[in-house]
Amino acid sequence: MVFIGDFNPQSFAEFMRHRAARLSVRAEPRRLEVTRIEVEVDGEADLVDMFEMACSLGPIDCLVIDAYRELPRR
Amino acid sequence: MSSAAGWYAVALSDGLEPGTSAGTRLFDKELVVWRDASGASHVWEDRCPHRGMRLSFGFVRGTHIACLYHGWQYDEAGQCRYIPAHPTLDVPETIRVATYASAEAMGMIWVRSDAGPSVPPPSNAPVIPVRSLYVDLPSETVAAGLEARSFARVSPGLYSADVADTSVLLAVQPFTVDRTGLHLAIADSSPAVMAVAVWAEELRDALEAASREDAP
Repeated sequence: MVFIGDFNPQSFAEFMRHRAARLSVRAEPRRLEVTRIEVEVDGEADLVDMFEMACSLGPIDCLVIDAYRELPRR
Repeated sequence: MSSAAGWYAVALSDGLEPGTSAGTRLFDKELVVWRDASGASHVWEDRCPHRGMRLSFGFVRGTHIACLYHGWQYDEAGQCRYIPAHPTLDVPETIRVATYASAEAMGMIWVRSDAGPSVPPPSNAPVIPVRSLYVDLPSETVAAGLEARSFARVSPGLYSADVADTSVLLAVQPFTVDRTGLHLAIADSSPAVMAVAVWAEELRDALEAASREDAP
């Protein structure tokens, strides 16, 4: 899962960790940058959808402009 | 809730009909007090885990309370059981509301402040609930004012006194740092409901007036 925007990376990482724990999905950050966040997400499909929606709103100090999914690199 | 440990009244029992909810505070912590269709009362954090909406704005459905915002339903233990947008989802146990130990006794709904060691809930006694009212003073100031007026301190949140030959129970709810709830009940045999209700207003006015006089 990829988020594009303007991020405080540590704040967004903590936000993702909290939401993943609440939704019982596994979320492993792969890239935490000021303009791009990549996270590998695994779990029940509806809950992964909820995770994406929650993170697309983001914490107060982050702005998410786009969110999409791409297959993990091999 | 960060606070003095103990049990505190947050509502009169007869003020909460089955199938209804109400918002309140204890030590500035927002709480929802709700009664399910079976008559059991519950005191929880007043916040839906989904988007933070106050659950006190929600709807009671049988033994569940549903959030006003997206309809997420929670059972008596605070566990989310149904999400309307995902009706077939087996909701994970991690989606739940923070709940608090609560009990009904002496015509009031009590919640245990979770700081410090646990203490048993207040024992029940037959009473007639009178009224609730709110004082624009910190709970410490109210407590000092009650003790100065010879109220007997039963516990951190409960006082008793005889008013016009009537035994009055007065529960103190530390609402916010500068506001205190008072919940009153009288002995079952007493006919003095109206007199005690009026006396409670006079007590509130006297407490607030004394505080103004003491102000520099």
